[in-house]
Amino acid sequence: MTARNQAPRHTAHEAPKRPKVRYLLLHAYGRGGTIRTVMNQANSLVRAGWDVELVSALRRREDVQFPLDPRVTVSTVVDLREGEYTPPSGVAGRWHDWRRGRLLEQPGKHIPTGEFGYRYFNRYVEEQLIAYLSTLRDGVLVTTRPALNFLAAQHATGGVVRVAQEHMNHGTHKRDVQQRIRETYPSFDAVAVLTERDRQEYEQLLPGTRVVRIPNAVHSLDQVSSDHHAKIAVAAGRLFPQKGFDMLIEAWAKLVETYPEWQLRIYGSGEKKAELRALIEEHHLYNHVFLMGHTDRLDDELAKASFYVLSSRFEGLPMVMIEAMSHALPVVSFDCPTGPSDVLTHGVDGLLVPPEDPDALAQSMGKLMADESLRSEMGVAAVLTAASYGPDAVHPRWEALFTELHEQRLGTAGAAKGQHV
Amino acid sequence: MRPHAEVEEVWPRDGRIRLVGRIHGRAAESADGWRLLLVLRGTDRRLRYDARVKGDRFESELPIADLAGRDAGRDASDAAGVEEWDIHLTDGEAELRVGRQLDDIRGKKKIMVFPEQRTGGLSVRPYYTVKDNLSLECRLESRAEEAI
Repeated sequence: MTARNQAPRHTAHEAPKRPKVRYLLLHAYGRGGTIRTVMNQANSLVRAGWDVELVSALRRREDVQFPLDPRVTVSTVVDLREGEYTPPSGVAGRWHDWRRGRLLEQPGKHIPTGEFGYRYFNRYVEEQLIAYLSTLRDGVLVTTRPALNFLAAQHATGGVVRVAQEHMNHGTHKRDVQQRIRETYPSFDAVAVLTERDRQEYEQLLPGTRVVRIPNAVHSLDQVSSDHHAKIAVAAGRLFPQKGFDMLIEAWAKLVETYPEWQLRIYGSGEKKAELRALIEEHHLYNHVFLMGHTDRLDDELAKASFYVLSSRFEGLPMVMIEAMSHALPVVSFDCPTGPSDVLTHGVDGLLVPPEDPDALAQSMGKLMADESLRSEMGVAAVLTAASYGPDAVHPRWEALFTELHEQRLGTAGAAKGQHV
Repeated sequence: MRPHAEVEEVWPRDGRIRLVGRIHGRAAESADGWRLLLVLRGTDRRLRYDARVKGDRFESELPIADLAGRDAGRDASDAAGVEEWDIHLTDGEAELRVGRQLDDIRGKKKIMVFPEQRTGGLSVRPYYTVKDNLSLECRLESRAEEAI
């Protein structure tokens, strides 16, 4: 007992000093779901009084693309914007400049090629990240994708508490990435995943490593509700094979004759736009299916629709779907790994259909198109479901995790110095 | 909003372009005498087609081969070999512009995009102008290829 009392713990009148939290992102200036989610977390933490920094491995844009509290600091490891790099002068400078150019050309050697972000990790980026990671001595470092997790596992070894975030489901990773996950993730203080199914998988994969499930939070629950009257269905995501919009268009082709007044609006931009347009033309859906492009006002667009469709081949945790639910939109979704079955209760707040089955998708969409009162009923249930993904429900879990890991670290640091724990 | 012909569906297929919509802001006193009117931009060249009107609904169509019909018309095409036809609905008195003004989608030019059809060395594509009116773009194919 006396030992405990002497331990370097905080007494009631001595508030714990919170650790600084650093999030390492591949590109804090991008528009992806991970970036948006991390910014939501950062906003909640600074509002709760934490010191938060976003560290962007790369920088290709001038401005951050999502709302970010000005108290969150943002820094960059490798700035790739035009004109931001001034070659150093002098003989040594010229050598450094030559070397930088050479390393920028060389493919990375620390990141497995199966990592979807592999192409961004040239030798220069790797070297700069490793140099940065090895300077960290304290606080909490949260890394947000496999490549960054691998580098942190091996090089952020100077005393910082490390948390690896996984924003994709495990089964989605290529074999070489899965292999590196098994090798490196045990050195993390915690591995954070988004869904229950992933928590179980990672726990089996990493015996003895702490695996926590903390879903991502939507940015707000204070949203305008749909009135379920407009004959508009909405989908959103990057125009990319993962999102399965090809299957969604095929499903719509099966419905257009029965429900000619309905429109499908697909929000997002991406490299498959021309192919999706060709598919729309092939099925003569140009009066009914619209590629809306990117919008800065997705909230408003969701509120105008009557239901949301998720046609993805795979997901981590589909946040726009949950955002749609916060607008009282019921959801028709493929039961793909992972996320939809974690979030949706079939027949209550949405309809889950067998993955990659356009016929089944069409059938379930038809059910909602035919029945406005069903849409309203499920929409109300959807709002309730979305509530457990609100910032106030989710973000305190990060605070608790960081606090706990930090105190553990202080405890073991004390033990290492021969102090009482 | 000025009276216009609100187009709801555009069907460019099988060598024809069919339009379906509603007359907005002007009572169709008679179902008779309505025509679809195409005006070649920058000229006084005009093409007319019968339009079926019932209540406020209209429907009409044209064969795209007509647009390639008169070779003389090509004098009016610009250097890039492009001709643009603006589409109207008329009862002989008023000329109502055909467009899509009543929904919530802004920037239709890039969102509501229609396929092109080909006829006699010409490719024809309906499109929304920046003001969300409906026009036809006709491109001479040889030059269209050069442009790429």
